[in-house]
Amino acid sequence: MGHQHDHQHHGHDHSHDHGHDHEHGGEGLSAAADLSVPDQELSPDALSRRSMFRRAGLLGAGLASASVLASAGTAAAGPERNRSRNGLLWLAGDHHIHTQYSSDGKYRVLDHVRHANAYGLDWMVITDHGSNEHAKIGVDKVNPDIVAARDKVKDTLVFQGLEWNIPAAEHGTVFVHPGRNELPLLKEFENTYDGAVKGATAGTAANEALAIAGVNFLADAVRRHRVQDALFLANHPARKGIDSPHEIRAWRDAAPNIAVGMEGAPGHQGAGIPAPHGPGSGRGGYDNSPSADSFPGYPLESYRTWGGFDWMTATVGGLWDSLLAEGKPWWITANSDSHNVYADNAVRGPGSDFTKNGKYNDPVYGGDLNLGDSDFWPGYYSRTHVGACDFSYAAVMDGIRGGRVWVDHGGLISGLDVRLRARNGRDEVPLGGMLHVRRGAEVDLVISIDLANGPNWAQFVPTLARVDVIAGDVTGKAADRDGFVAPTAKVVKSFEVNKSTGTVSFTYPLGRVAKPQYLRLRGTDGNRGAVGLHGPGVDPVGPAMDVLGSADPWKDLWFYSNPLWVLPS
Amino acid sequence: MTVFGVDAGSRSLREADHLIHDLVARLPGPVVAGTHLIRGERPHIAVSLESDVESLPVDPEVSVVSSGAQSGPDGLSAAAALAQHGVSGRAVVFPGSALTGAVRIGDLLAGSSIDRLHVVGGSDQPGADDFLDTRDHLRPEWQGGVLVLAVTPAGPGRFAPFEVPNPTPCCADH
Repeated sequence: MGHQHDHQHHGHDHSHDHGHDHEHGGEGLSAAADLSVPDQELSPDALSRRSMFRRAGLLGAGLASASVLASAGTAAAGPERNRSRNGLLWLAGDHHIHTQYSSDGKYRVLDHVRHANAYGLDWMVITDHGSNEHAKIGVDKVNPDIVAARDKVKDTLVFQGLEWNIPAAEHGTVFVHPGRNELPLLKEFENTYDGAVKGATAGTAANEALAIAGVNFLADAVRRHRVQDALFLANHPARKGIDSPHEIRAWRDAAPNIAVGMEGAPGHQGAGIPAPHGPGSGRGGYDNSPSADSFPGYPLESYRTWGGFDWMTATVGGLWDSLLAEGKPWWITANSDSHNVYADNAVRGPGSDFTKNGKYNDPVYGGDLNLGDSDFWPGYYSRTHVGACDFSYAAVMDGIRGGRVWVDHGGLISGLDVRLRARNGRDEVPLGGMLHVRRGAEVDLVISIDLANGPNWAQFVPTLARVDVIAGDVTGKAADRDGFVAPTAKVVKSFEVNKSTGTVSFTYPLGRVAKPQYLRLRGTDGNRGAVGLHGPGVDPVGPAMDVLGSADPWKDLWFYSNPLWVLPS
Repeated sequence: MTVFGVDAGSRSLREADHLIHDLVARLPGPVVAGTHLIRGERPHIAVSLESDVESLPVDPEVSVVSSGAQSGPDGLSAAAALAQHGVSGRAVVFPGSALTGAVRIGDLLAGSSIDRLHVVGGSDQPGADDFLDTRDHLRPEWQGGVLVLAVTPAGPGRFAPFEVPNPTPCCADH
């Protein structure tokens, strides 16, 4: 058997017994690549992987060796993706997932990891809610479950994280690189800085300061090598209007290497499926109104999703653009926020005592379809694609920090390569990059998109109808820390995609670059659209506001890329 | 008629609505009442209430302010609510607030004190023969003394109030 492959490329320090039978993903990966195992002896999972290797022309040719496995990624089943592109591995993941250690959760860690793996995710973060129970009990108990899942499902990286109740604000994902101190550090962080644990949820100046102290704590922990790495991303930022623009700027500026972004699209994407066959609520769980804690400047439009995306991201010329216009990184992601899966049958384990045990008992079969639940399994609908240098925890974190990230819903596209390229034939940068050129240099935005090359998890092949290039000027430091308008940002070019398979390529020439700018991409299935909130001159056909109780997530698919900058000097 | 500002330290709109409904149930005659967001170091919601009574039947720890009197602790937020009554804030009890089910928009505007509708997230303006699905929950806002109901598109010829009666729970644990 080809089980002697080297696990160094996983980049984490678990030690496991190579003598035991690999199950689940571990078996699927190695056996799929091992031609001494005939097709008929493979599990369906492994057979699916072998088929993918075969189609990709990767079978044989040393696939079972560590180096090729690393460069090919560890292809899992799912809406197919072209992982390897221009030297980067594009690893799909999800940084927002809840288990039985959350008071509103239900599943085992392994339930999520198995599903995420089957649905094609390469990495994931377990983020149970900060709470008194979690801080005292759950944070400790979930760790061995995560460690065990890492061992059982080897080709999906499983981070331990926390859904931090950011003092004075919304929730956020905090996660660290695995290692000896991951648990003590997360535990100390939660007990010291979680808004629920510390009774610091109200939108006051003192609580805002506690949030900054929390971000600084993480930065300090990395600086002092207590953990190898840590990241913080704001979750569902516009949901309740309580992440004010100045708070977001303050997190970012306190530790730009730690506080790196926000959910461009929230989870709970099934929440708008019409009743009685769905929850009949607001897509993303976005159905709130202003409160005494909310930022008074936010319009009502900010409390809903737009084509499944958060208003901060979906509004061209809006809050996200106003952050990018400062010339500072702030990246977007898309996650499941999976707590309770739509149309699943499982129910919480009977006889549970969450307060006492810090967890619910293992779920059991409930019989009925849970049609009132709003979530999808990780990888089923929302994906955050990270351009990584290798298949490792460190590389995923580096890729996120570097902004080599694009996101999609429903497998809308299979691959994205976008570059800013100077015509000097030398200088170019990938997503998240900053291209430094001489003033007047000619620069192109070069886009290559792999159209969906297989069915998604709703069993249809989505069609990309249009790609929009959005550009804005870099105007420097925000004059108003609570500003959320970027006056120069607009859709500068739209490409119709008159093709349903293969790869499409577009070039947007910037001409001779005279001023610092950023560019980002957005694409749609073309099913729903509306004039953007800043008018047709800014965004003639942007996402439409999702209708409460009538938002079928599969009929309104978008992808978004993170930005690239060009900085002439 | 007397206008009262009332502050029981409500933390959510729902809590403030309960306070209003409890008071209204104990008052004779017509009442107009609304909520007011109090931001700052102690974010909470205060209430204003207009009624044909001289005093309100509230517990002593609740702040009540009217033009001639003050009772209970710190009346700053209650006074703010009083000052904004009918000017800004969110109306909870008003002529027409008891409308339920789907209502023809022409009938809504004729039969309530709502002055106009404001569409959020759509370009189509509601016509008199379109319908509003009230979800039995109307919470218009006073905007400079004009009562405006924010609505969203809800299918062809249909609209629904922006505010929903049971928003996804907002506690920090979810």
